[in-house]
Amino acid sequence: MSAQCVQCGAELDVPPALCASCGAIQPFRPELSLFGVVGMAECYDLNPQLLRDQVLKLQKGLHPDRFANAEPASRRASLEWSTRLNEALAVLRDPLRRADYLLKRQGVDALGEQVKVADPELLMTQMIYRERLEDLVRAHDLTALDTLRQEVEAAATKAVDKLRMLLESLPCNQPDAAGSALRELQFLDKLLGEIDRSEESLQNA
Amino acid sequence: MALMQIAEPGMTADPHQRRLAIGIDLGTTHSLVATVQSAVPTILQDHEGHYLLPSVVRYLANGEVTVGYAAVAAAGQDPHNTIASVKRFMGRGHEEVQTLAGHLPYDLIPGEGMLRLRTRAGDKSPVEVSAEILRKLKALAVESLGGEPEGAVITVPAYFDEAQRQATKDAARLAGLNVLRLLAEPTAAAVAYGLDKKSEGLFAIYDLGGGTFDISILRLQAGVFEVLATAGDTALGGDDMDHVIAEWVMGEVGTAVEDPLWRRQVLQHARNAKEALTVQQTVELPLTLPDGSSRTLSLSRNQLETLIQPVIQRTLPACRRALRDAGLKIEALDGVVLVGGATRVPALRSFVGEFFQQTPLTDMDPDQVVALGAAIQADALVGNQREDLLLMDVLPLSLGLETMGGLVEKIIPRNTPIPVARAQEFTTFKDGQTAMAIHVLQGERDLVQDSRSLARFSLRGIPPMVAGAARIRVTFQVDADGLLTVTAEETSTGVRSEVVVKPSFGLGDDEIAKMLQDSFVHGAEDVASRRLYEARVEGERVREALQTALASDADLLDAEEQAKLNAASAHLNDCLSKNDADAISKAAEAVEAAAEPLVQRRMDNALRRAIAGRSIDDLGD
Repeated sequence: MSAQCVQCGAELDVPPALCASCGAIQPFRPELSLFGVVGMAECYDLNPQLLRDQVLKLQKGLHPDRFANAEPASRRASLEWSTRLNEALAVLRDPLRRADYLLKRQGVDALGEQVKVADPELLMTQMIYRERLEDLVRAHDLTALDTLRQEVEAAATKAVDKLRMLLESLPCNQPDAAGSALRELQFLDKLLGEIDRSEESLQNA
Repeated sequence: MALMQIAEPGMTADPHQRRLAIGIDLGTTHSLVATVQSAVPTILQDHEGHYLLPSVVRYLANGEVTVGYAAVAAAGQDPHNTIASVKRFMGRGHEEVQTLAGHLPYDLIPGEGMLRLRTRAGDKSPVEVSAEILRKLKALAVESLGGEPEGAVITVPAYFDEAQRQATKDAARLAGLNVLRLLAEPTAAAVAYGLDKKSEGLFAIYDLGGGTFDISILRLQAGVFEVLATAGDTALGGDDMDHVIAEWVMGEVGTAVEDPLWRRQVLQHARNAKEALTVQQTVELPLTLPDGSSRTLSLSRNQLETLIQPVIQRTLPACRRALRDAGLKIEALDGVVLVGGATRVPALRSFVGEFFQQTPLTDMDPDQVVALGAAIQADALVGNQREDLLLMDVLPLSLGLETMGGLVEKIIPRNTPIPVARAQEFTTFKDGQTAMAIHVLQGERDLVQDSRSLARFSLRGIPPMVAGAARIRVTFQVDADGLLTVTAEETSTGVRSEVVVKPSFGLGDDEIAKMLQDSFVHGAEDVASRRLYEARVEGERVREALQTALASDADLLDAEEQAKLNAASAHLNDCLSKNDADAISKAAEAVEAAAEPLVQRRMDNALRRAIAGRSIDDLGD
């Protein structure tokens, strides 16, 4: 089903935000997926650099700066498209959020509040990491903290590899395993944030 | 028929095809206005050749307002009514300002919301005071450009929160400016610098102004300026260096007198000393003490460096945070650009060089670069072709909501690229509840008491339901200026709730309306001077067109026609030397009427020559 330009009637490209024929900005389409809004194929293994280039290219034509002196309807549309593009970049370039988004698209909410984790191994790993972090902070050991960071980053990379395998074909046919890997990745991400904050407060002390 | 200047085909087109736009750097201590002329960003200068306008506003007894150097001169004698560094008060409450560096000589009125200053001209909001500075800059622009700018880009510190930004936008509105964009100062500097040097890569902009500090990390690539992270301190600047020097002076002299005039004098000496020590190794401060006696102090550059070291060190945490948030190590940076007058201080330059492990870039005037960048963006936004330029900025401070127990739940984290929107679902806790209050805060802390209250939003018109049944989707949208709008919808019924905003430190719509009305008093004077200005511009255009025409074609008129034209022209000259707009307009019309025969015959000749194949160049040799 192809859409038509509201101004000149020409057929719209993918993504359908600006008319290739007359340049008019189209009303925002909230139902478009994040992939649809950037005009890229829906898959897990995407190239973050390509994604970024595509988003910047689209922003050049849709950003509110292009419509600073335009009529309210165009300014409104520009704000909506530009906001959605930023959201697409933020979600799709992050392996964790991208996986979460794809699973949500097939109705699986792996990180929701309702999910109770019954994975004793993961819980144990989390506790050990947390204790190590506390010890290092107490000891003011910035070097060891950096080592811990590198370890956690390596573990996160492994989790992303696992997700890539599980999400190779969509929809994912092992949603439970994918959900598990996702929760592990989320924990590691949060831990990295805590390491950041600890480093910052130790440095500023 | 109007007296026209006849142009040959092929001559350059009217330069007025470009739309007029200006960039304004509304600084704590100095302000500037700039525009792009013939593709060159240019700072506009006043009649004395100054490009810096001191951000000082003085309210006189007769109701007049002076802005700039004249106000600075009077600051020593009239501290309560001469407001300097008003930027420090924008969007701020009375309580917060008490903890600012130094003692302020102003009469601050306690109360809720944004503070007010008591002056002889009434209680003034910082928004009104800033509007006076913007009015002056606008008038300078109108005069220099020969017309009203269609829009302006106003810069704000990157670390300015919502209340401070909104206050700036309100001030611009009061001053009669169409704000195209609020632009972050470091981003503006990056644009000016990046386009000038055609730089690409990762750059840190270290911006230490009179009263605010920003550190922004940007990626520059083929006309795209992407802010990766920003951090700062909106209560840290060159002013703070002046204050520590002033404290030292007071200590040396031994007076702790709470005399605003003495304080002002000492601050001025401190500032002069700081600036002098940028080029000298020692400086003398000749003081006149409150008791009338004289005393001269001597300050060396080494002593200065010791005194200001704590101020410089205060910039460190923000630098670290920005790098961390950008996910970069120091080595990854291709350059560090210094912005702001305070970065001229040698001690600061060596500090920056040491921390960033490279010599900072200082080849653009640190006072001008922000205004130039703003002018470039204004030029692009107003519609002059500039498709290659894209500025992607970020939200500097996390946005959060108050939840149970006085906690803040972050909904949009800091350094999120803007524009950005986030939706959150709420529900009712009482049967039949039709309204809801949402408290929005900014900051990185977890408790409400440690965060900056932005506004309270009341959602009204929620369809009455059983408690917990309503699904209220609240959307928080931050636009390209960094300003927040809130919309709410009950998703099961589709009913849009009305959102009433009560800003915590801002001006309500009715306050702005009243201020706008008050400004019409000035406005009437402004309108009169505009009419005079326009009449004069037109009168001079007619005079010039006539001179051009007479230079080549005076012989087309007979004696009587020439006499009539000379009389009309003499009368116009006379009117132009006076201040009656109507008289000038009438005189200009009279000249055009008297020149009718001349115009007609010039046209006929030109047509005849064109047909005969000869060009106008052949005449008058």
